[in-house]
Amino acid sequence: MDKFLTQLPGLVDEIKSLKEIIITNIVLIGQTPAPTFKEKKRSKIFRERLAEFQVDEVTTDGYRNPIGIVRGADSSKPPIFVLAHLDTFYEGDQILNYTIKENTITGAGILDNSIGVGVIASLPLIFKKLDLQFESDIVLAGTIQSLGKGNLRGVRHLLKTWPTPIRGGICVEGIELGRLNYYSDGMIRGEIACSISDERNLLTDYTPNAIIILNEVINEIMNLKTSQRPRSRIVIGKMTGGANHGKIAPEANLGFEIRSDSYKIVKKLYGEIRDVVEGMSHENEVDLNIKTISNLRASRLKYNHPLVKHSAAVIEALGIKPVSRPTESALSIFLSHKIPAVTLGITYGENRYFENATMEIEPMYQGIAQIIGVLKAIDSGVCDEQQLA
Amino acid sequence: MNNNWLEENTFHYSDFKDLNRLVEEKAKKNLKISLCLPTLNEEKTIAKEIIILKSELMTRYPLLDEIIVVDSGSTDKTTEIARAYGADVYLATEILPRLEQFKGKGENLWKALYITKGDIIIYLDADIKNIHHRFAYGLLGPLLLNDHIKFVKAFYDRPIAIGKNKMRPTGGGRVTELVIRPLFSLFFPDLTQLIQPLSGEYAGFREVFERIPFPIGYGVETSMNMDIYEKWGLEVMAQVDLDRRIHRNQDTKALGRMAFTILRTFINRKIRLGLIDLKDELFDEMIQYNLVNNKYQPNIFKIEDHERPPIIEIPEYREKFKIDQERLRNLQEA
Repeated sequence: MDKFLTQLPGLVDEIKSLKEIIITNIVLIGQTPAPTFKEKKRSKIFRERLAEFQVDEVTTDGYRNPIGIVRGADSSKPPIFVLAHLDTFYEGDQILNYTIKENTITGAGILDNSIGVGVIASLPLIFKKLDLQFESDIVLAGTIQSLGKGNLRGVRHLLKTWPTPIRGGICVEGIELGRLNYYSDGMIRGEIACSISDERNLLTDYTPNAIIILNEVINEIMNLKTSQRPRSRIVIGKMTGGANHGKIAPEANLGFEIRSDSYKIVKKLYGEIRDVVEGMSHENEVDLNIKTISNLRASRLKYNHPLVKHSAAVIEALGIKPVSRPTESALSIFLSHKIPAVTLGITYGENRYFENATMEIEPMYQGIAQIIGVLKAIDSGVCDEQQLA
Repeated sequence: MNNNWLEENTFHYSDFKDLNRLVEEKAKKNLKISLCLPTLNEEKTIAKEIIILKSELMTRYPLLDEIIVVDSGSTDKTTEIARAYGADVYLATEILPRLEQFKGKGENLWKALYITKGDIIIYLDADIKNIHHRFAYGLLGPLLLNDHIKFVKAFYDRPIAIGKNKMRPTGGGRVTELVIRPLFSLFFPDLTQLIQPLSGEYAGFREVFERIPFPIGYGVETSMNMDIYEKWGLEVMAQVDLDRRIHRNQDTKALGRMAFTILRTFINRKIRLGLIDLKDELFDEMIQYNLVNNKYQPNIFKIEDHERPPIIEIPEYREKFKIDQERLRNLQEA
């Protein structure tokens, strides 16, 4: 493996020689809209691209996650998974138009996660170009229904129903190059909806305002105590409501997220928010409901797990400083199934959640070399002996 | 009117999805294929066109032998970007510099004939936002797989479905439906079967393009349709449904100027063919009006009416492609 690490920087130029094909994959897949729950078109083009690059098998699992399999040399070795989520936060279903400049590609959803999906679709060709063979089968997957209300259903189903043990996994995200996620926070995302019945206008002189009610809910949430250890926090991330400037808002919605490295704390905080909601609902005589949109249990690899150590070495061998933070991605599903896995970023970018999201092209080749390095590490057995914490 | 043409010579790009078959046919016929992108300030779209077409139709399937960009003098980064992604970039003014210089899309297409080496030339506009390699292989398919077809035009958006129970609305843009289709209906009913006669994407054999004149501006597509039809007949022409094309939306006044140029090209063609006789010369100014401070003010556009002769008549071209006088005579007689 050490020898391979020294060869890794040399692979970057070879990968770059396929730049037109890699960029084409990113653009053709990325321009195909894929809002969560409507990933069918993008799934089809992902499968088509994999088939064109002659992977040994292209299929979908029982949940319609598209999958390509590159067969390994040793059928006794469990497969290694490389996956990226297919769906985008961008909800439009019109064809997206990406703009390519000398060193950038710009367009909605490019960073989250057209790069990841496009790069995975390119891997079979890159394996051929670099003359790489693996002992394990490499399963290349684009998972559906990951974001928001999707609640990682695609990857949950994929891993739960896979018929064999899984040797290890790599989750591919567009940005940032250098990220090395090997632990995930516990998390609950919830929504609080307030609606004021029309009858209130007739029965009382005072009509409550849904936005102001939610504002009071926010104030109460801000008064909740979040602990430093275990680390925990509540993010008020989204608010919608009202009809127009001069009308008392009849409806409003609040989106929030609770995170902690202890899922017990997450649940405790959620319970406290639910109490706030119930109390406010009684006091103000309004419909105030709370519901969970998605949740994750906290899970982690130890920092000295061989996969973490080797992944860090791969990133450093490419001259990049690894950065570790918690993540709320498919990684947590791998870890909850006791499958060693890491999340890696491909390149740098900006405006992630906007229509002018922009990725840098040049660092991407290092990002891809890094995936090859970590794949090789897993294939050489770094995940085989150590059990998860 | 040749009623069978629409059914027999209208294709869908998916008919040619088997790219290996096209590659085999190209090799069997020993053909070279060039792709030409005429540009003027296309920095937002040029890279994507070059990358996707190069990736799919040069690197993965060896269908294209070259991608060339002929630029009219862009002031943005079009030429730098095109070069950076591996296209051969030429300034129109540097091609055949002995000749008087004009500026326009038709000029670039005409000069591309001198620069390219292909037996087949594909012309694609450089502002296609949803570029896909089907734009090129869809145009190539009919040329490679049908010996009698020499020129193929694209149409988009509202595909015509031929056959029972498969009727859908069809049509072109505003200029097509308000200007070209009425004119074709009046004078060349056969040509009304071209669903989008003004589409900017077409391909054909060099032996066709080198023997027709090229207006330098917007009229190039109109004249090309008419000249090929007049010279070789409808049978050598085909059209292919490329599904969907996202392009810039032009305002009505810009379309008016386009219509002016097309009308003039059309009328000049009719005069040249001896089909109509005008007692006076046509004017060369398009006059439009704007309301400024409650007064109508004319906005006058002088629209030049230059046209390049068939490039086979240019000595430099004949020298480069080794066409001697005898062959030229034979071609002209044919």
